[in-house]
Amino acid sequence: MTTIAATGLNVATPRAFVQPVVARLSAPVRLNYPWKFSSMKRMVMSVKATSEGGISDKVEKSIQEAKETCADDPVSGECVAAWDEVEELSAAASHARDKKKAGGSDPLEEYCSDNPETDECRTYDN
Amino acid sequence: MAVSTIYSTQALNSTHFLTSSPSSSSSKQVFFYRRHQSQTNRRFNTIITCAAQQQTVVIGLAADSGCGKSTFMRRLTSVFGGAAEPPKGGNPDSNTLISDMTSVICLDDYHSLDRTGRKEKGVTALDPRANDFDLMYEQVKALKSGIAVEKPIYNHVTGLLDAPELIQPPKILVIEGLHPMFDERVRDLLDFSIYLDISNEVKFAWKIQRDMAERGHSLESIKASIEARKPDFDAFIDPQKQYADAVIEVLPTQLIPDDNEGKVLRVRLIMKEGVKYFSPVYLFDEGSTISWIPCGRKLTCSYPGIKFDYAPDSYFDHEVSVVEMDGQFDRLDELIYVESHLSNLSTKFYGEVTQQMLKHADFPGSNNGTGLFQTIVGLKIRDLYEQLIANKATAPAEAAKA
Repeated sequence: MTTIAATGLNVATPRAFVQPVVARLSAPVRLNYPWKFSSMKRMVMSVKATSEGGISDKVEKSIQEAKETCADDPVSGECVAAWDEVEELSAAASHARDKKKAGGSDPLEEYCSDNPETDECRTYDN
Repeated sequence: MAVSTIYSTQALNSTHFLTSSPSSSSSKQVFFYRRHQSQTNRRFNTIITCAAQQQTVVIGLAADSGCGKSTFMRRLTSVFGGAAEPPKGGNPDSNTLISDMTSVICLDDYHSLDRTGRKEKGVTALDPRANDFDLMYEQVKALKSGIAVEKPIYNHVTGLLDAPELIQPPKILVIEGLHPMFDERVRDLLDFSIYLDISNEVKFAWKIQRDMAERGHSLESIKASIEARKPDFDAFIDPQKQYADAVIEVLPTQLIPDDNEGKVLRVRLIMKEGVKYFSPVYLFDEGSTISWIPCGRKLTCSYPGIKFDYAPDSYFDHEVSVVEMDGQFDRLDELIYVESHLSNLSTKFYGEVTQQMLKHADFPGSNNGTGLFQTIVGLKIRDLYEQLIANKATAPAEAAKA
């Protein structure tokens, strides 16, 4: 199984063996639809919205760093800058969450806001 | 500013006409022509207006992060019509918002130090050393004169300074961020400035609401973050409120004794007197001191009710008028009742404030003074813009040749 770990995308490649009965019947098809003849459990398509997961991780990491930096010297510039970074990342994370909540609800709406003149998106108000 | 207008009527059976703005040499020339559609008897009452504007109205909005600036922006752009969106086709992490009339620029884009740079130097984003005020001044000045600029982008996700994006001069430019009024030169370019002053208790409550859902955050870390930033905030950001034309101050409510939930808010709109094109909102009688509880026989409110105060005051040695609202709106008729008793709102029709508030009923603060005063300030800015434009309009040009 090949995993493209960097983006968190797991795609199962066809297993080397297939049930012989099936192979005889649908050999050409098998190659195109590997998931039909493998256990569905292998098909893990987890497409993470990396930006969102990424920011949350960054927030967590920055909090850890800030706690460490401030353990040494609570009033130093580094400590203050570290907490400032936490604040900035928290704000970015909250914006990302809001954007995710607001957008991506209706693909048609999104398309129409970009292309109002297309046939699907024409509105007749009068 | 040059405004050229063309009126085309049936009488001008011309195929092309050309116009140019007859103003000073530095104005942009605008040419356009229209082919006459022959064989119709339609009256061409097309009015084509071109505005080769020299003057952009610049509004400054200052607040600490996490203090409702983006909500304010959405309300403000909504007053002018249309939704503000990030520029299409550009950097997806751009902080800029563009609508028909307004463009909103985030001043974080003028950071001179990126996140790693600031960490090395031990400097927060609040510190003026982390910001390039010269560039800020130059670009705001250019946009105000009608010249497009290549503005850098500060990517909040990566903490790096990205490649610049082209910003066209809009009719209304809003610069929002931590330091719009810090630099004196930038301050002089602003036609109107607003400061969002959130008290410490309310700030704490809002940040808890925002961050508790975030993995890794705890009450202590939120508190530590606020405390660590406080010295820089008090030294660099807070003093800007003395320069603001309008300050929206958010405090905990006085209606509920010992309330620490921070749900009900007391919001004060402090408006400077004597600002050109800006007439403060008042209650009943301008310049007097009024205390008003609208709930009673004509209006029933639920606990804790609503309380209004209006008084002239002095703020950092300036004459100001203060309208204050404590409590929450529960129903539409409370809102319209209150609106009908406030004066000098600069609305274009009765109920406009209520309509704007209802349009964005899902925004935070829509049921209390924050939403109300943000909407009112938006209407005031619209009024200011229209007055400024009316004053600068030159005589419309007419069709040059047949």
